[in-house]
Amino acid sequence: MRACVIRRVGLASLVALAFVPSGRMAPVAAQGSGPSPATTSAPGAITVQELEAGLDERGANWLTFGGNYANHRHSPLTHITPDNVHRLALQWMFQTGTLGDFETTPLVRDNVVYVTGPQNVAWAIDARSGRQIWRYRRELPPNLTACCGLVNRGFAALGDKLFMTTLDAHLLALDMKTGAIVWDAVLEDYSIGYSATLAPIVAKDKVIVGVAGGEYGIRGFIDAYDAQTGKRAWRFYTIPGPGDPHFGTWAGDSWKTGGSSVWVTGAYDPEMNALFYGTGNPGPDYYSAGREGDNLYSCSLVVLDAATGKLRWHYQFTPHDVHDWDATEVPVLAELPMGGQSRKVVLFANRNGFYYTLDRATGKILLAKPYVQTTWAKEIDAQGRPVLLPGHVPDEKGEVTCPDLRGGTNFWPPSYDPRQRLLFVNTRESCGTFFGWKPEYHPGERFTGGAMQSDPKAYGALRALDPTTGERKWEFRFPTPSWAGVLSTASNVLFTGDNEGNILALDSRNGALLWRQQLGANLHGTSAVTYMVDGRQFVLVPAGTTLTAWALPQTARP
Amino acid sequence: MSHLGSAMLGALLGTVIGTAATVAAQTPAAPTKNPYEGNTEAIQAGLGVFRSKCADCHGVDARGVRGPDLTQIWASGRTDAGLFRTVRHGISGTEMPAIGYRSTDDEVWKVLAYIRTLAVSAAVGEVAGDAVRGEQLFRAQCAGCHRVNGRGGRLGPDLSRIGVARPRAAMARRIRGGVEGFQEGYEPVTLTQKSGQTIRGVKKNEDLFSVQLMDTRERIQGYLKADLREVTADAESAMPAFGPERLSESDLNDVIAFLSTLRGFEAIVK
Repeated sequence: MRACVIRRVGLASLVALAFVPSGRMAPVAAQGSGPSPATTSAPGAITVQELEAGLDERGANWLTFGGNYANHRHSPLTHITPDNVHRLALQWMFQTGTLGDFETTPLVRDNVVYVTGPQNVAWAIDARSGRQIWRYRRELPPNLTACCGLVNRGFAALGDKLFMTTLDAHLLALDMKTGAIVWDAVLEDYSIGYSATLAPIVAKDKVIVGVAGGEYGIRGFIDAYDAQTGKRAWRFYTIPGPGDPHFGTWAGDSWKTGGSSVWVTGAYDPEMNALFYGTGNPGPDYYSAGREGDNLYSCSLVVLDAATGKLRWHYQFTPHDVHDWDATEVPVLAELPMGGQSRKVVLFANRNGFYYTLDRATGKILLAKPYVQTTWAKEIDAQGRPVLLPGHVPDEKGEVTCPDLRGGTNFWPPSYDPRQRLLFVNTRESCGTFFGWKPEYHPGERFTGGAMQSDPKAYGALRALDPTTGERKWEFRFPTPSWAGVLSTASNVLFTGDNEGNILALDSRNGALLWRQQLGANLHGTSAVTYMVDGRQFVLVPAGTTLTAWALPQTARP
Repeated sequence: MSHLGSAMLGALLGTVIGTAATVAAQTPAAPTKNPYEGNTEAIQAGLGVFRSKCADCHGVDARGVRGPDLTQIWASGRTDAGLFRTVRHGISGTEMPAIGYRSTDDEVWKVLAYIRTLAVSAAVGEVAGDAVRGEQLFRAQCAGCHRVNGRGGRLGPDLSRIGVARPRAAMARRIRGGVEGFQEGYEPVTLTQKSGQTIRGVKKNEDLFSVQLMDTRERIQGYLKADLREVTADAESAMPAFGPERLSESDLNDVIAFLSTLRGFEAIVK
């Protein structure tokens, strides 16, 4: 195991960083002896209570990845309605000036937007005008092993600190007021395939993160760090080691390079003090001779005690996956009337094509039903195990399976409207031809053992699912599958995007199109967020290299 | 590695990169043409490299998945030398990685030799027809829609590089009308306006709310679907089938002989 390295940055280098005008990173002193950086008692500091409260009706802020810890992405704001949304007007635009696209969820606090971009650049931006307040830019090594774009999915925040993962597999704490590094913790060695792209979660005094690298033969894990100091509190390996329960679900030494990455933010239940994280595919992705067994905890939902990192329960959606169906979709926590009682549940539309409702305390499957065309499993049986259909193991000749490797849905976040009891999820109808062949493992190189060809006839649809039955209430179709997440509001307006670069507003009660605007780049792996500034509701859209802010026209000019 | 701070790591990396640069400067320049082109053994070895390092993103047939289609990459004007650099060093700031230090330059050339076989088996070997006569036929029958070296129509694809993009058999099939499906950007479409008037052309782009096309008079124009009665994807290609009654076997050979000579303008590394 590699030791975690913490470096405190001295006051001198903080000052140096803050005054580098071009945003180019000043060299950081190797060891600092300066005074401890600011604490949570600073004026305006973000409190745990605020984070646990989630989105409130005043709605000035958006403080965590999913808006609230349950990942609802459902705002109580009602200024923008189905009747007036067509009047939305552009308020400002912000351009990254970097290569690569946004996949981020911006945070908003006290009229300031905190947003991460591609290549681990990040900004604080005036939410009124779109003008930059500070910029952080990381100097990245040249031989990164990020599989799928040099992306980042957003900040977490606590006190006066922002937390961000990096492509070279660090976790940084930045000073919210200056963008300077407060502490820098190494998660793992990027040169052997580790990277980090997800938005952290703050759970009380800890910052929770995971690592990407499922296509590079890593051994995945979820870590917790002390928010004040950056010291690691615990680590949960998503692949058991020798002596751990379920170690026998991996043949031979395959556990050492079995992937099970964690690259999408989970949910958090403060009352249970439990974290809910989806885990990635086992590796090699397509060629599975040599990793016989269920390959726990790949393609699973793992539920961890936030204080200790101990496993409370797990559920494996796709045992011994061979189709690259990471379970790294965004879990949603809800309370539903099921079986004659109100139950606390987890909602999960999985990449494998099935929608699941699970009991939040026990992991018991309450419902499992396809929400797109699936050809690999007949059903999920009473024990929660898929009943496999023959002919879906990738080989040299290629096997056709639905859904394709990108899945029925993927990492783009859904939204959940608790009043209508509807889950809004961008779905894909697509089949693929999967090929498998024996790969060789070399540290830091791709280790997938195959490839896939997509069916050109694929299409997409935003679907409103009833989580008590898995039934579809309505859908809005797209000519090609969308990569966009969803934001919904208490006034029945839903924002999403298509693959062709349009941002869309739909009526969340029936899927009717209310408004649209061509942005020139698609919403990719993220959604809009919404907040209030000066009594007006703003909708903030990160798409391509541009952040756009929309609001209803001002009634009177000052 | 376990106790290296990242500052030290950075310093170390700097040294490594510095060394690499020095070595590169002393190494003789890489060949500008693939020494393995057409070499069966090398192509077989290249297939193995392609599968383990490229297919995952570019697709088993190199027609693109996450990464772009590689089959038309020479036709688009890229050169062996340029592609060698791309594979060897990657494209900074994108998902395209360097092939890795474990792979030799030889392996890079072999994988390119393999990809080349997917791209073309172009005009290798004897050309049967009369290229001069073929050009006359082309100018008379094809140039209304196809442009070659800056002359001709624009409704169909520019054929200035067709000699490196398509094997002869594929050209013959296309001309005779035996090809299903349409190339992106050339799908035939008919727009019906509210007035009932129709516009025919080839589709350049489309989303839920608009469609962009080049009409049969080569006007490029976008239309909002809200202003149209209908957008119809036509079943028949804008390219007519040239059966034996329109183009004899010998004429066909001549046209293909001419097309096979088309290698484009001076290749420029993009």
